Amino acid sequence: MDNMQQQFVEAGTLMLAGMVFVFAFLGVLIIFINTVLARLAVKFPDAIVVPHSRTNKKSKSKSKTTGEISPAVVAAISGAVQRYRAQHSQDK
Amino acid sequence: MDSLIKLWFSTGLANFELGQVVMMLVGCGLLYLAIARNFEPLLLLPMGFGAILTNIPVAGFSEVGGLLHYIYYAGIDTGIFPLIIFMGVGAMTDFGALIANPKTLLLGAAAQFGIFATLFGAIALNYVPGIEFTLKDASAIAIIGGADGPTAIFLASKLAPELLGAIAVAAYSYMALVPIIQPPIMKALTTEEERKIEMKQLRPVTKIEKIIFPLGVLIMTIFFLPSATPLVGMFCLGNLMRESGVVDRLSSTAQNELINITTIFLGLGVGSKLSAEAFLNVETLGILALGAVAFSIGTASGVIMAKTMNKFSKDPINPLIGAAGVSAVPMAARVANKVGLQANPHNFLLMHAMGPNVAGVLGSAVAAGVLLALVGG
Repeated sequence: MDNMQQQFVEAGTLMLAGMVFVFAFLGVLIIFINTVLARLAVKFPDAIVVPHSRTNKKSKSKSKTTGEISPAVVAAISGAVQRYRAQHSQDK
Repeated sequence: MDSLIKLWFSTGLANFELGQVVMMLVGCGLLYLAIARNFEPLLLLPMGFGAILTNIPVAGFSEVGGLLHYIYYAGIDTGIFPLIIFMGVGAMTDFGALIANPKTLLLGAAAQFGIFATLFGAIALNYVPGIEFTLKDASAIAIIGGADGPTAIFLASKLAPELLGAIAVAAYSYMALVPIIQPPIMKALTTEEERKIEMKQLRPVTKIEKIIFPLGVLIMTIFFLPSATPLVGMFCLGNLMRESGVVDRLSSTAQNELINITTIFLGLGVGSKLSAEAFLNVETLGILALGAVAFSIGTASGVIMAKTMNKFSKDPINPLIGAAGVSAVPMAARVANKVGLQANPHNFLLMHAMGPNVAGVLGSAVAAGVLLALVGG
């Protein structure tokens, strides 16, 4: 019985020490993120990537590989939209 | 005639013992859970098959000279397999959500209460006749509450190798049962209003933060808890390979081929521990029960911590994300998201829950390090 009591005391000590340590460790990690990492983020921000398609005027030949919509398709779609709007306003 | 008798005695039928048959059925049960129920199939399938192989009479898979014997001693007894898996998990983990909202680390810490509270349960089970758990056994069992398979196997192989089979089966079974175990506890501890809370959008995290984070974690572990460096170190290595962006091939190998190969052998190795004499006893029932208790306490303490933080924080915190602190990545985060959506169809908590979820992985590794340092010596 004494042995059991001793084991309970040991388990209690372990629980207390363990929880205090886990909270302390992860708490220090919070401070690390809020100080060191946050400062690094301000000092070295990610480079803003300029979309390739905007700067590339000769897009006709590359349109299939870059996924850019070709002007012909844009013209066809806008034409269709205009026609639809015109038709829609006439209906009214 | 003599040769016929000799042949008969070399068959499995003549040599089967009842315990072996029962353990083969347990192996088939694991295969069923993996194939029909899709419960952690990556590990339960090789584990179930390993259980069948190790119980084949005469073949001696787990005796000296047998395949499973060498797999176990080369990879699990040495702790190598769980550590390689941890490296792969690190390579798969994105700490972005955690870095964007570091407070969620406290949820990962609170959920580890499941581990330490279960120590009492394991010691209390010594009152049951037939059960005799030492503090080392109790620590190895309690780590099931961390809901992290590799950590549980690593710690069990160091503290209580004879209980490893039961501990691994319990850990992976409960991880698969997260969507069933957690929601009732989450709903019982929160109000409808709390579950509806919408959280602020996370800030974008820069590349430099993601690169420095694993290095910072490693340095802290070296300073404060060197006993956890095998786990944390491999985890951070995998994560640095991912975030540095310069070793995509290594990162890809760590999170695909290497982790897959290791998972096959880890499953077989754990399965080799599912022998009748090691598994068919009252202690296994105790371990299964304690695993469920550990898991439930971990979930509850995470939710209660999140509720408390919500009361004091200037930004609202949905208490449901606290349940993800038990690790079990990414299942626990998905469960938090699902329960949140049930209360508020416009509330997507997944990214917010990933913070405590990966914090739980770190928390359980730290808890394992504490147990190893205090009990393992």
